[in-house]
Amino acid sequence: MSIPSGQNLRIRSMVYVAGEPVPFFWPMRSFIHHNPLHGFEHLPFEQAVEKGAKLFHARGFLPRRASQRYLADGQVDTETLRTAVQRFVTSQGVSLPLDLVAWLTTELTRQADPVITPLSIADSSLVYAQLHGLEAEVPTLSTERLAAELEQCLLSERPLYEAYDDLFGTTIASDLDEQVIRACLDFFDEGQSVWRMPNREEGFYRAWLAVAGSTVHRTLAELTRDEGQEGPLEPERVIALVLDRLEVPEDQWVACMTRELTRLHGWAGFIRWRSNATDYHWQRRYPGDLVDYLAVRLLLALTLLQQHSKRRHPYSVKALREAIAADPYGLYLRLELNRKDCLAPLAREIEQTLGRGKRDEIERLFHRYRARKGRVEAQRQAERLTALADRLDDRAGLLGLSPEELTQLLELLRALDRKEGMLWLTSMEAKAIARLVDGLSLLPPPPRDKRPFAEALFCIDTRSERIRRHLESVGDYNTYGIAGFFGVPVSFMELGKGSENHLCPVLLTPKNLVVEMSSIGVQDAAALTALEKAMHELKESVLTPFVTVEAIGLLFGFDMIGKTLLPTTYNRWRAHLHEHKPSTHLVLDKLDRDQADSIVRAVQRAVIVKAVEQEFELQPEAITDSMVKELREAALGHQSGCPEFQARLGLDDERLERFVDRLRTAYRINPAFAQLQMERLGRIGFSLEEQTRFVTQALKSIGLVSDFSRFVLLVGHGSTSENNPYESALDCGACGGAHGLVSARVLAQMANKPEVRRRLREGGIDIPDDAWFVPALHNTTTDEITLHDLELLPPSHLVYLDRLRDGLNAASRLCAQERLPSLLGEDKVLKPAAAFRNAQRNAMDWSQVRPEWGLSRNAYFVIGRRSLTQSKKLEGRAFLHSYDYRVDPKRRLLENILTGPLVVGQWINMEHYFSTVDNEKFGSGSKVYHNVAGRFGVLSGNLSDLRTGLPAQTVLDHGHPYHQPMRLITVIEAPLAHARQAIDNVVAVKRLVHNGWIRLLIVDPEAAVIVQYEDGQWITRDFVEADAATDTLSQEALSA
Amino acid sequence: MKNLNFSPLKKLEIILGGEHRSFATDLLDRAGVKGYTIVNNLSGKGSHGFHEGHLMFNEDDVLIMIIAAVPEDLVKPILQGFAPFYNEHSGVVFISDIQVTRLVKFSG
Repeated sequence: MSIPSGQNLRIRSMVYVAGEPVPFFWPMRSFIHHNPLHGFEHLPFEQAVEKGAKLFHARGFLPRRASQRYLADGQVDTETLRTAVQRFVTSQGVSLPLDLVAWLTTELTRQADPVITPLSIADSSLVYAQLHGLEAEVPTLSTERLAAELEQCLLSERPLYEAYDDLFGTTIASDLDEQVIRACLDFFDEGQSVWRMPNREEGFYRAWLAVAGSTVHRTLAELTRDEGQEGPLEPERVIALVLDRLEVPEDQWVACMTRELTRLHGWAGFIRWRSNATDYHWQRRYPGDLVDYLAVRLLLALTLLQQHSKRRHPYSVKALREAIAADPYGLYLRLELNRKDCLAPLAREIEQTLGRGKRDEIERLFHRYRARKGRVEAQRQAERLTALADRLDDRAGLLGLSPEELTQLLELLRALDRKEGMLWLTSMEAKAIARLVDGLSLLPPPPRDKRPFAEALFCIDTRSERIRRHLESVGDYNTYGIAGFFGVPVSFMELGKGSENHLCPVLLTPKNLVVEMSSIGVQDAAALTALEKAMHELKESVLTPFVTVEAIGLLFGFDMIGKTLLPTTYNRWRAHLHEHKPSTHLVLDKLDRDQADSIVRAVQRAVIVKAVEQEFELQPEAITDSMVKELREAALGHQSGCPEFQARLGLDDERLERFVDRLRTAYRINPAFAQLQMERLGRIGFSLEEQTRFVTQALKSIGLVSDFSRFVLLVGHGSTSENNPYESALDCGACGGAHGLVSARVLAQMANKPEVRRRLREGGIDIPDDAWFVPALHNTTTDEITLHDLELLPPSHLVYLDRLRDGLNAASRLCAQERLPSLLGEDKVLKPAAAFRNAQRNAMDWSQVRPEWGLSRNAYFVIGRRSLTQSKKLEGRAFLHSYDYRVDPKRRLLENILTGPLVVGQWINMEHYFSTVDNEKFGSGSKVYHNVAGRFGVLSGNLSDLRTGLPAQTVLDHGHPYHQPMRLITVIEAPLAHARQAIDNVVAVKRLVHNGWIRLLIVDPEAAVIVQYEDGQWITRDFVEADAATDTLSQEALSA
Repeated sequence: MKNLNFSPLKKLEIILGGEHRSFATDLLDRAGVKGYTIVNNLSGKGSHGFHEGHLMFNEDDVLIMIIAAVPEDLVKPILQGFAPFYNEHSGVVFISDIQVTRLVKFSG
């Protein structure tokens, strides 16, 4: 074995680190909400936003005008804003003869745009002169200082080709992006494109190189001339060679790579996710990672730079530095010429002077240009300042400032400009916190004399809040909130689907596999295991062995078999199977060894039959059981020779041996693979202990341990919309972006099992025999709730079913009535039935760009008993996780809620936050311009970065924010010490709280206090009990 | 026990955050390491305070340890590979001398 190159591994590691700030992009089939600045969560929120905004050229806070709209709407706490401004002024240590708090507050709340304008040349003395109508000289600049400024501008924190474009007016950066996008579209295509890039199995870099143009190959040949290596270079080596050629110092490589990756952060994020998803079909088939991507990108960049420069212009770090030193005035004017704010009257003269190339002429123009531009800047700044002073009616105050004082004022305003976003944000959050806290109830619910008619467990999703409230209002229902995967991480294999689907938050990898089986057409139910039933039943159909292989073979990595055999038939069959889905049940129990063994044998037999059919063109009826048996035994090495098979086909020994060998290798009939198959079958189902544990945990985590109703509904949720690539974004985040019904069915099936109930009873949870867990699905687009697996319902429950359905229907209609006005943009109040019909139409309308608002306007995450917020209308803005600290003395359940559901909630919250504050950069812009790309994402127009985040239609309403961008306001109901200890124990959540990514409040019902984490301290808040307070949230919102 | 042959190898114990697991295993695979053992949900104390290892709902935020036995000449390239990663992340790599009886399991 040759020793691997440590340098290559090092490059790989550098690329990994460089890629971390780039957010993952999951294929849109399973849209995963995530924080686009997840890579910066180790930093305080404010710093992270600053860094992220710089890296992604994006805005991290709402623009001022949007904040002012919120202020006018009463959504900003003015007292908090005033105090924050005051504190800001104090922190700056500035003392001026002006009412600075009034100046800054006016600047924030009454000026549409910031008063500060960029001053690249002018200084405050020039602004002073402008204000007072005095003559003043533009400050001079030494050649060294100019060179340093140019180096800063051209050589730091940006790719070289961007600097080159700015200097020479070329468009290398956009040309490069375009070529990289084309390469990505070709390579990562998942069956949408007509043209298929050849050699994709060899990986992104190699496949691309094989079809790259001759200029790229020339660049590569030149790079590798001195390498003396046989064969093609590894992509790691290519990266190192290009960076060397560009003379980027090695300590800047990681930063340089990050900048390359963030230029198209959608593509980079997709490739980053994909290379991490080792079980993703397309990644296994056509591997590609960020090392490939960077090699492609850098090689193309170097090619373009060389093409454009034709050795005339400098393009490496060293050459640019030398050019700056040799001709700073010329380069400065070049830069100005290509800037948007170049002084137009002098543009032509600059062009001509540069063309003539006379040094003294250039220098003279440089000084003249700077003097003129400096005065323009100063004038603009003076005008803005005067306007602000006039608004305050304090022009005299402004003109009374000395030059030094004016400098201080400008610096203060500049500092405010940087701080403004945080001031608005905290003031808006203060208002939202006050609204939530007002009217919370710390009293325990009144005791009941009988159990509720039904209990319903809903997902913590914000959309559950409305339907829960309405369900509680129409009858005797108790509702609970729990993460929509009901705490059971499941890898699910849907009937007829070619792959496993993880039904749990992406933070987890499920260890147990649940297989869906058809419930019909089984003849001899008693004699067969569930899997065998499926095999027998499927063998009756037309494409027998395929179907057998398909049904179970997915466990076995059988896409290979599909490829080895007949891909077209295989795919046609798959598509066909989806047409009419029969009623199904789930295989939840573990198989015993004999069952697993018989399944492996059955699949081997099926594969052998197909192999014989394929290789010898033999009809299935001509293949006898005994032939199959001897072939199987031979392939597994249990016997030598296959006399019957050999005689039937007239094969000589050598031919037979070749075929048996092919069975072992191509068809994987061998002991090692059989062992692997057994291991994979071992993943199916849950042991009884596991089932008991999951049910116990789900019930305890929400505090439901007694008084079980006749019906315990487990309500998953999903959405329906047509022609909507973002449909998955509207589904259940806790189920990995899928519908929540399967998870509900899984837990219901476990909880209804007598043996599980017996064990639960031993553990102290006594579920009465007449309590039945019923899975259900809440369609969040139509508000309908449908009950499932009713065929399993005990006959004793049937008489109550109508009452249950009536209650659910009533809740659905009321929910639609509350929700529809915000969707229709109309103030009129719809009747429940009309609203319900309207919602159903939205779900089926092809042209509907906004079938529902989804999780937009999410703001709160409440962990506690239902009674805490039951009296409040939270308008579908709160994630509600039920929790009763009294059943969790060791805090394990709370720690689990914090580490899983809360973290997912925070991702959703941040996705919405950033998609709102900068919809073009962090969001995906308008859906109207979206085109589906490669079957996994969308582009704007025909060629763009992969659009990440949420579309405008999800977070904006007529161009204004619909989602109110705030950090997740989280409430934990528990004794202070209990909650704080839990937070301290979960490092990830502690970090989020301390770094200000979530706003945390602890409601201590025993001490009757509320404490809030604020700037590193726990502050006790005033608290008014619910009975004494009015429901201010809904009232104010209605009046707004 | 007379016929046992001991061969010297190096043992690497690589401790890092669970979210970086596939990066680390990919690096080891590419370095030609023939196998490794992964211990999940580590508890322990380090510069970032105490880490609890029991979390059920978030596998990214737990510490893991990857244990690999490698020939001596692989140690340097592997450490060279991990260096940029550990410049940015917490975690450690322990290297120790060990002996194995079936060398063929560990080197190619």
